[in-house]
Amino acid sequence: MEKALLLKAEIRERTGSKHAAKLRGQGRIPAIVYGHKRESVAISLDAHNLVEELQHGRRVLDVQIGKKKEKVIVKDLQYDYLGRDIMHADLMRVDVTETVKVKVPIELKGTAKGTHEGGIVEEHADHLEVECKVTDIPESVIVSVKEVDLGDTLHAGDIELPNGVNLVSDPSMLLVTCSLVAAAKTTEELEEEVPVAPEVIGEVKEGEEAEEESSEEAK
Amino acid sequence: MAMMPKRVKYRKSQRGRIKGRAARTNYVAFGEYGLQALQSDWITAKHIEAGRVAATHFLHREGKVYLRLFPHKPVTAKPLETRMGKGKGEPEFWVARVRPGMVMFEIGGVSEDVAKQALVRVAHKMPVRCRFVKRRHLL
Repeated sequence: MEKALLLKAEIRERTGSKHAAKLRGQGRIPAIVYGHKRESVAISLDAHNLVEELQHGRRVLDVQIGKKKEKVIVKDLQYDYLGRDIMHADLMRVDVTETVKVKVPIELKGTAKGTHEGGIVEEHADHLEVECKVTDIPESVIVSVKEVDLGDTLHAGDIELPNGVNLVSDPSMLLVTCSLVAAAKTTEELEEEVPVAPEVIGEVKEGEEAEEESSEEAK
Repeated sequence: MAMMPKRVKYRKSQRGRIKGRAARTNYVAFGEYGLQALQSDWITAKHIEAGRVAATHFLHREGKVYLRLFPHKPVTAKPLETRMGKGKGEPEFWVARVRPGMVMFEIGGVSEDVAKQALVRVAHKMPVRCRFVKRRHLL
């Protein structure tokens, strides 16, 4: 594991959306540090440094809060409506010796056999939940799809994980499939399937109305 | 007739306003690449169909196209040369309400270059400004 940069945090005296927006304008990201049964601390981090660390695939960060240095794990990130900028980060205190549950992205490697026969590889999940020591968190789990033929599937249980990393996700969780693409329907075909007008729930049709009336009369 | 719901509770709806930004459907969830709206607007069933046809034609049965929007809202119109009044018009077409940030189309199973070219063609059919987005693997 590469040595992480020490991120200098500033304690947020004032919280709330207005103050958080002000911080974002100054190039900082509001964050919260919690865990280990200690009080949570609202902080802000330099946006550039945090994004750089995350883009290098680092999940465990060293954060300096005041004079104290803390090891934290990135538990959650909130993005803006376009999914471009990080709005807020959730950081959980961890020990180096601690075992944690984390979500690790899946990376597909190779070209599937089935693609040569006209199939496409579909990724049904992009994360795996694993349990490992803080120092052993993998950047990503590499899944080789070379041997995946047409109609084959890969489940979470089929993936080889690095040493010291245990699977937490359901082993039967579907990850990858290779299947033939159904021919796209033409507009005419779709039009045949779609009704001319949708059925209105609770509306009595003319024929049914007449039937109801006749049955009432018979009574 | 293009896409429309099979069953509805009410035949007609008021026009309403599109407020705010997309709080959901704002990330690539099924494919690997997507087309994200940057403006709010009504996307008609015809627009959606035109986008779908443009993408599938370009991909030549490679990859998979996912539609993330559906025209749930009926829009009514009065016939031509009709005097005002006499009640609301009849449903004319169906629209999907799109807010900025919404990922409208997704493509999976093809390279980034191919997906970009396909989605550019789809973007040309849309009445809103769009941008190409990738699936986020980072948390």
